[in-house]
Amino acid sequence: MAHSISIQPTGKANLVGRRLSVGLLTTGLMVFTLLVLIPFIWMLVMSVRTTGEILNDPYGLPSIIHWDNYARLLLDPKIAFYKYFVNSAIVTVGALVLTLILSTLGGYGFGRRRYDFKLRGPLFALLLFALMLPPQIMYIPQFTMIAEYGLLNTYWALILLYAATGLPVSTYLMATYFSQLPTEMEEAARIDGCGDLRMFWQVMLPLARPAVATVVLINFMNFWNELLLAMTMVTKPEMRTIQVAMMNFVGEHGSDYAIAAASLVTSMLPVLILYLVLSDKFIEGMTAGAVKG
Amino acid sequence: MTTTARTRTRARQHARVTRRAPWSAIALFIAPVMLYYALFVLYPIVATFYYSFHTIEPISGKLTATFVGLQNFFALFEDDIFIRSVQNTIIWATAGPIIEMATATTLAFIVYFKTPFHRFYRVAWFAPMLVSGVIVGLVFKLIFNFDWGLVNVALRAIGLNDLALNWLGRRDTPLWVVIFVHYWATFGYSFVLLVAGLSAIPEELIEAARIDGASTIQASLKILLPMLMPTFITVLILSFMGKMRAFHVVWVLTGGGPMHFSETVATYVQKRAFSWSTLDLGYPSAMAVVWFGVVIVGVALINRWLKSRIDY
Repeated sequence: MAHSISIQPTGKANLVGRRLSVGLLTTGLMVFTLLVLIPFIWMLVMSVRTTGEILNDPYGLPSIIHWDNYARLLLDPKIAFYKYFVNSAIVTVGALVLTLILSTLGGYGFGRRRYDFKLRGPLFALLLFALMLPPQIMYIPQFTMIAEYGLLNTYWALILLYAATGLPVSTYLMATYFSQLPTEMEEAARIDGCGDLRMFWQVMLPLARPAVATVVLINFMNFWNELLLAMTMVTKPEMRTIQVAMMNFVGEHGSDYAIAAASLVTSMLPVLILYLVLSDKFIEGMTAGAVKG
Repeated sequence: MTTTARTRTRARQHARVTRRAPWSAIALFIAPVMLYYALFVLYPIVATFYYSFHTIEPISGKLTATFVGLQNFFALFEDDIFIRSVQNTIIWATAGPIIEMATATTLAFIVYFKTPFHRFYRVAWFAPMLVSGVIVGLVFKLIFNFDWGLVNVALRAIGLNDLALNWLGRRDTPLWVVIFVHYWATFGYSFVLLVAGLSAIPEELIEAARIDGASTIQASLKILLPMLMPTFITVLILSFMGKMRAFHVVWVLTGGGPMHFSETVATYVQKRAFSWSTLDLGYPSAMAVVWFGVVIVGVALINRWLKSRIDY
């Protein structure tokens, strides 16, 4: 290393020491990160190997990349994994639409000062109360209710209940966003004779697009990954969501590691792709609900 | 509700003619979400309380409730599996958040000072949070496999053959494996929340301390940490609640086994309500009611204890 002139003799030593400690810290953090990511990497690698190879050497790299695990998983009529993918997609999208309708309307009502009334605060607190509760306190009667309406083993069972679990946080996020929007536009539109509903739909909702995106991301992930309600409300094999199907599939084809790994990767793909594209938005969205509250 | 609303409107109209509450609009916006919430959340909660005093059994194809008073609650205290599941969940909800808060706070500070690659760390560490509990459970079941799981392979490779245990098959380790795996899946969330909390602290404070000659560590402990406290409490409560309700990972990883050594309240409620053919929905409802109380008391205690320590 070239000599550098330092005014204080300790300055150079400090700099070297600093570089060294940053280097050590970075190495440590990289090893830690590798440990965090190993399960993903291992899963991905296994999904493109054959079960024979995996049994021979569980931690080897694939000799040839075997995409046929995925082909078999999705196309083999005995497995037909795409069915569960479709079930999950229907349930998730259905519940998302319902959550969005209710939470944007509710968030607007709870967020804007114009709609304030005496009981609004307590009602909002009551709505947020559910954020604290374990699902166990409500899902037994939810089951009997769904059974009574004859909705067990239908998409509706999960659409209705997922929307209920997504509502509190979604309404909260919409309400905080709406409450921060300025009132000028509203006033201008009102002078032009714009009614409340049109105001919401044509003026305010388009302004709240970022909050809507957050609500979609959070709920999409939660609905897609849900297990407890999915395994309780749906028992018919062909109506299973992807999470339940995966659990049973690995139970039944437990020794076929390659295809089991492929099923895990497939089920993770929608959320993972969204995350890789929108990771900052994702992280922001999931922190938005907690830090302010 | 609408009639009382209307009378109130009239009273207000008489009082102030200038501003009338737009009741029809309020109803249009707020009523749907509240009605939906009442039907699918509040009613089930009330019903769980009602169930807990009854035996709910299918008699000739129809669910029939028979009042049994406090019998379900008394039975809970004699149910060894329930007692063990409570112990396990409380161990988890105590140890889990402590480990999580200690490491997540340390990591948050490291990243806050713009360590090289901090953006990459943030994305990487948060990633496990997106993985469904089912996948987490299934993958870690393999990782803790006795014969060729990653943990034991690594331990044997460095000569620690004695430490290569049958992690999921013993009585003392499964709960800790569950705690570890759930930690893996969730620490990134706490970490990200804490980083957000740190970023919200005005930078001038740190700069002022630096000018006064404080080192990074001094500045962190004396200035940032106290300022972070409100976020810290929120994250701690979230972490605590997460452990108290966690179901997916345990269910898939150990199923509460072997011999209920990793049973939690959430998995035991599921077993008694749906998985076992015990057919009575009253008893698991009583468990849920007890648990509801424990969660609320726990959150209140954390809140009070920590708040009293900050307001000096």
